Amino acid sequence: MRYFDRLHPAAALVYFLFMILTAMLSLNPAVIVLCYLSGVIFCGILTGFKNLFKSLLYSIPLTALIALTNPIFSHRGETVLFFLNDNPVTKEAILYGVFTALMLMSVFYWCRNYSTVMTTDKFIYLFGRAIPKLSLVLSLILAFIPKLKRKYKEIDAAQKALGVYAAKSYVDKIRSKMRVLSILLTDSLENAVETADSMRARGYGLKHRTSFALYRFEISDGIFLAVTAVLGIGCIACIAAGGANFNFYPALSRLNLSAVSCALYACLALLGFMSLFVEVKENILWRLLKSKI
Amino acid sequence: MDSGKVKIIKKTAAGFVVFLLIPLTVALGVWLFKDRKYNIISAIVAFLSCVPFFIRFEKGVNGARELVVIAVMTAFSIVGRLVFAPLPGFKPVTAFTVISGVALGPEAGFLVGSLSAVVSDFFFGQGPWTPFQMFSWGILGFIAGVLLFRAKKKNLLLICLLGAAGGAAFSLMMDVWTTLSLDGGFLWQRYVANVISGLPFMGIYAASNVIFLLVLTKPFLSKLERIKTKFDIFK
Repeated sequence: MRYFDRLHPAAALVYFLFMILTAMLSLNPAVIVLCYLSGVIFCGILTGFKNLFKSLLYSIPLTALIALTNPIFSHRGETVLFFLNDNPVTKEAILYGVFTALMLMSVFYWCRNYSTVMTTDKFIYLFGRAIPKLSLVLSLILAFIPKLKRKYKEIDAAQKALGVYAAKSYVDKIRSKMRVLSILLTDSLENAVETADSMRARGYGLKHRTSFALYRFEISDGIFLAVTAVLGIGCIACIAAGGANFNFYPALSRLNLSAVSCALYACLALLGFMSLFVEVKENILWRLLKSKI
Repeated sequence: MDSGKVKIIKKTAAGFVVFLLIPLTVALGVWLFKDRKYNIISAIVAFLSCVPFFIRFEKGVNGARELVVIAVMTAFSIVGRLVFAPLPGFKPVTAFTVISGVALGPEAGFLVGSLSAVVSDFFFGQGPWTPFQMFSWGILGFIAGVLLFRAKKKNLLLICLLGAAGGAAFSLMMDVWTTLSLDGGFLWQRYVANVISGLPFMGIYAASNVIFLLVLTKPFLSKLERIKTKFDIFK
């Protein structure tokens, strides 16, 4: 059982919004490294370290690619390392590329963590009352996708069995797929309107209908939300106050260690690694309880 | 005041709030972060630009049948994206969005486009680019609807042109995002480089849209027209 599965969706949403916002807001190396590390490790905890390793196989070369292309476009910076086609390649430009790439990757990992935790049922639970029609359409779409995929396979198999499925060339392949899609559309549109009529027969859209959800806002959720809010607002206030100021050009500035900056690093470290802490704690607790049985 | 008037006032107020929120976001970005965080501010603005459309849909009179048909078309474009995933560059989302706009109206077109972006990014990776995709695809469906929903004869050439232009515009729009997030500012030089490196992709994208539309428009439009007449929806 993951802690974030039990956590109230509202608290989880606020947590992820603060993390993604902070990760996007600054190019300060310390801030980026903190966001990146916490995002990556948390991703490992949520999806398993094997999956994390797989995604790192893609993301590390991509990071390197972004980092290396920056000096090609940007010749600013005063420490020239060497010349490429008469254009200076500077240390500052390379480092700027590295940290921009890491920033993008940390946003990517935090977004990934967001979608792992905030499943659509949680999203609909949170926003179902504020945007009833949109969230209904959203849940219908998600119900239709696996249905359509199953149906697509059935039609596909039937077409193949009938022998009308030519797969000799690229054009034939596309044409056959188009035909299957066309059959699928006719079928699903008819079915959809039937779904709608059945929904209306069961009282969709009537007033005073309630829906059931498993989530209850408990004291521990409140504590988590309060801590998140304090740390998150702290981070953003510190960034706005200039705590994250850092210049790559013309020369690298020294890492800011003023009071505001230190407060920022502390808030961010606590915020980022808080999720890891609660997950690990939950895991240990779970194992302890299990071994007693 | 009768309820009709109240509704209109509510609608106008919602639109007004959004129109205030966009400049406010920009101002906040300039004031709070010294005008340096283009990528995040632009993502927020892109998202806010979608909000009036969603509000319009939320407040409008739509029966369950309309909602379900919109959901089917969206699910369809996502499944199409998944089905065609092995053929690189062939993504039918734009084609479905345009067809939905033409057959079901501008509002439905916007919804199919923007919701396809959100939901398919659940499968392909959610990120700060999602609001841009939402807005680009949504507005494409909306434009298709405005131009052709009321037209008696749906001009296939115009539809294909829309698809090609939409594919190119989508690519250009996403390049803006790439440029903004790489530099924290807008460098023309870099933007042009991004566009050029994306040209082959943009070509395939625009061409595949045209192919999809050429093949799909006629059968899909007639199917949707049939459903519309049969069940008396999307008048």
